[in-house]
Amino acid sequence: MLNSNRIALGLLGVALPLALLAALVSGPVSIDLAAALRDSWRGESSEAVILWQLRLPRALLAILVGAALGMGGAAMQGLLRNPLAEPALLGVSSGAALAAILLLYYGLAWQSGWWLPLLAIGGAFVAVLSVWALAGRGASASRLVLAGVAINAFLSALMALALNYAPSMFAMQEIVFWLLGSLANRGWDQLLLALPFIIAGGLLLFASRNYLRALTLGEASAASLGFGGRRHPLLLLLGIAAAVGAAVAVAGTIGFIGLVVPHLMRPLVGQDPARLLWASALCGALLLLLADIFVLNFVGAQELRIGAVTAFIGAPFFFWLIVSARRGGAL
Amino acid sequence: MSPEGASKTMAARLWPCLVALLFSTSTAAAERIASLNLCVDQLLLDWVDHERIVSVTWLSANEHYRRAALPEHVTLNRGHAEELLGLEPDLVLVGQYGGGRAAARLRQLGVPVVTIPDAHNLAQLQQQLQALAAELDDNAELLRQAGRLGQILQQPRPAELLSAMILSANNLTYGSGMLEHELLERAGFRNLAADPDGGEGGQLQRVMLEQVIAAEPELLVLYGGEQTFALAHLAARHPVIRRYVDSGRVFTLPAELGFCPALVAADVLEKLRQKRESLVEQQ
Repeated sequence: MLNSNRIALGLLGVALPLALLAALVSGPVSIDLAAALRDSWRGESSEAVILWQLRLPRALLAILVGAALGMGGAAMQGLLRNPLAEPALLGVSSGAALAAILLLYYGLAWQSGWWLPLLAIGGAFVAVLSVWALAGRGASASRLVLAGVAINAFLSALMALALNYAPSMFAMQEIVFWLLGSLANRGWDQLLLALPFIIAGGLLLFASRNYLRALTLGEASAASLGFGGRRHPLLLLLGIAAAVGAAVAVAGTIGFIGLVVPHLMRPLVGQDPARLLWASALCGALLLLLADIFVLNFVGAQELRIGAVTAFIGAPFFFWLIVSARRGGAL
Repeated sequence: MSPEGASKTMAARLWPCLVALLFSTSTAAAERIASLNLCVDQLLLDWVDHERIVSVTWLSANEHYRRAALPEHVTLNRGHAEELLGLEPDLVLVGQYGGGRAAARLRQLGVPVVTIPDAHNLAQLQQQLQALAAELDDNAELLRQAGRLGQILQQPRPAELLSAMILSANNLTYGSGMLEHELLERAGFRNLAADPDGGEGGQLQRVMLEQVIAAEPELLVLYGGEQTFALAHLAARHPVIRRYVDSGRVFTLPAELGFCPALVAADVLEKLRQKRESLVEQQ
């Protein structure tokens, strides 16, 4: 059983570069991949520009965002010991999305083009810190969830208000598209903007791995093992805010990856929440990249938003989960 | 002056007269005009004596659309019949789409309502100007614009066509049958997004950036000239577009062309022709 799990994880590891290759050959224009690769990233030919400036940054961004969402979901489920937890539960995604919406709503100048992602990351941090402040000293997981639901509801209300008073139909469309998520037209600049925050978030989560392991024994046991106090959950939350906030900042809100991926990976890592972090990052990256390949190959008058694709992956998964749980008598 | 030059000058002088004859009507000029259409708002504010305008739509107060000064006495309406009734207009102009219920109610109540057709190609644009001229009773500015457009359209198309492609908001491009396509063709460009069979199948299509790069148009046409941030313009702001900007192979269509082409169609056509000439010289 252990070996088969390792093989499955190994296959995921092998599938990622293969999916990357598939992403690089996916698109409406047929290119000679070998020639474009030989042409180097400074190449002036159309094929080199398409490969190095359009397809590669988009595919790498899909991997990065998917990894951040998967890892964020695993960390959130570990922290709250709730299989239905995801980054959105504590308002991380909503905070980032609201900041982006307010920017779009008030139409602040583009400036360097960094306002939107920076404010979105700031929004994620503000949301998490608000949840933290509301939950109060020595907050239990259930109180954190309650505070998260409250902050999330408040942020959703603010988003609804912004939508209600959207100054024009174009602003409304912008906001709706933002909430559906997209990787289209993203380049190296967005990738490089998100990268440091996602790496920093990943490092914070990695540093919290033993805290997550201890939490599986319960909060009291974790405290007796030296993981008491507010520092550990705060670091974990800041890690989630950095990683997921940066992902939302450059790609909009992409749902279900953070919720579904930890469920898929948990049996493969023997329920170990620390190993679940990197396994979810790997699976999240692969799943989002595959979703983007589907988007790239989808022919239609309008761009198919990647958030819609992940929702179509996520919803049937939960149907399957509930049906299998009923058969096994778990629910 | 050469005989050819003299005939061109004569044609230029005759065009406004021909247009005036074509558009001339015998109706009495309305003195209290209200509009339920954004484009008609702008045309009225731009071309008609402001004293004759009693109401325009609220959208005309929006900086995004406002092209002419908005006089203080003009009431902004939100397309409700009761807003206009109190103003006692003797002419209400309504667009082909939108404001239909208010227009129907006003007609029932005996208010003269005239529908001005929308313009999505050059033929419709001329029909729109004609319909407007019939109501505005030989408006000088309208006749001048219509004459100018007709005159430009009479000019022969350049024999050598340069390739062009439009990259608009949300990665949309304009194919056969659209006004933007016709303007490009009239100016001497071959629209790469046009249906090669000349059909109208692909009027508004989605185009990905890599398709634009692979098509290698000699002129990249952007839309809007928006300075503020919008997700819809991410494609036009992508670094791969810089090489077009750096080599001067970009032309930006004014936003007005999207919501009221009558305001700018003649200007756009003239500027596109000039752009083509400068590109040919560069080659």
